[in-house]
Amino acid sequence: MLDMDDAKPIYVQIAEWIEKGIIDGTLQADEKVYSQYQLAELFNINPATAGKGLTLLLDAEIVYKRRGLGTFVSPNARTKLLAKRKQDTLQKLIKELLNEAELLDVDDKQLLSMIDAERKRRESHDSH
Amino acid sequence: MTVIEFHNVKKSFKFNTVLNDLNFTIEKDVLTGIIGRNGVGKSTLMKIIAGFIKESSGDVQVFGEHPFNSLKVSANSIFIDDTMSFPEKLNLTDILREAKRFYSNWDAPLAERLFEYFSFHPNAHYSQLSKGKKNTFNAIIGIAAHCPLTIFDEPTNGMDTAVRKDFYRALLKDYLAHPRTILLSIHHLEEIEDLLEDILLIHNGTAHFHGPITELQEMYVKLVGHPQHLPVHLTNKKVKEQKTTGLSSEAIVENKFSTEEKARLTEDGIKIIPVSANDAYLQLTKGTKGGIDDVFDRTATH
Repeated sequence: MLDMDDAKPIYVQIAEWIEKGIIDGTLQADEKVYSQYQLAELFNINPATAGKGLTLLLDAEIVYKRRGLGTFVSPNARTKLLAKRKQDTLQKLIKELLNEAELLDVDDKQLLSMIDAERKRRESHDSH
Repeated sequence: MTVIEFHNVKKSFKFNTVLNDLNFTIEKDVLTGIIGRNGVGKSTLMKIIAGFIKESSGDVQVFGEHPFNSLKVSANSIFIDDTMSFPEKLNLTDILREAKRFYSNWDAPLAERLFEYFSFHPNAHYSQLSKGKKNTFNAIIGIAAHCPLTIFDEPTNGMDTAVRKDFYRALLKDYLAHPRTILLSIHHLEEIEDLLEDILLIHNGTAHFHGPITELQEMYVKLVGHPQHLPVHLTNKKVKEQKTTGLSSEAIVENKFSTEEKARLTEDGIKIIPVSANDAYLQLTKGTKGGIDDVFDRTATH
């Protein structure tokens, strides 16, 4: 669900919520996406605002419209979103990570071993 | 299609001019929030639209007619506020039955379900209800009437938090099922900003801002960063408010930054935080007399 306290405008959050569904496979290619009225009801927001969220996705060609039928997931939406996320989100996190590491005097070697340790912790967690 | 049109509308009372050269149009089926500080004339404006009172000068059109003395406007609109009065002889059930005769789109099953949900006693009398209960009852009438033009003047006064939430949800669900032109004046913008499509902000007797709520939500941003780094980024920017507390400075600025400028802000460790519609509204209507602290500082120096 959406974090209503999130600082991002609500229609951006709507778009990101649908994007997340496409990335994690809940919404498959050529599958129908919620209408602006369903989104309005679901998130308790004005349908025009929900429509703006869908417009963001239409403009980015993540979804497409079929006249009279509704809005659907573009066939290449997932590939597109993964590339975008890698570039935007991951890059941003790395920047923040390096800033913090610099502030705390943590060098690359330590950083890598911390990532390694976290990965191992997860693996052992999964196997239990 | 346009439902409401105001051209150079003025309204003066004996001692003051409330509305001064007001211009705006409201389209069909838009849910608009009317906001403004106390006493700016929100209720006056809504009463002019409903045809309850007459403007002093200018041109007002509602459904293509001058609303004052218009049967078309009164048959197609409902005005809900906390000064509504009902015949003392009738109990609440009688009032709902009479409302059905009055409003041609009346949704009786919905009215009954809301009546029961909010635990009204069928034989109770309106005058015995508490302030919050009265307004809840009024709200039921406003929603169930399904009027093409529905006007709520501060409908949530006296309602407790749970009832307010239920009212907003009920209004949205009914609006989705039966789209219509709705005007809603309210003081707690933060509670309903997601519900609104447009905002009409009345300030100094004019329409100070009229547009999508999302525009208001993106009008300003708050920059937070180190006091040494922040000022460089504020040159050539419209700064509305600025303060420094210890190791961090913050400023509310007009949201006009290029992608390069934004990148430089992030590089300097400055956070860009959105400003809510409610905070933007406060910035837009800030007085010229400073804040409340100035009132006290002045007395302290004397």
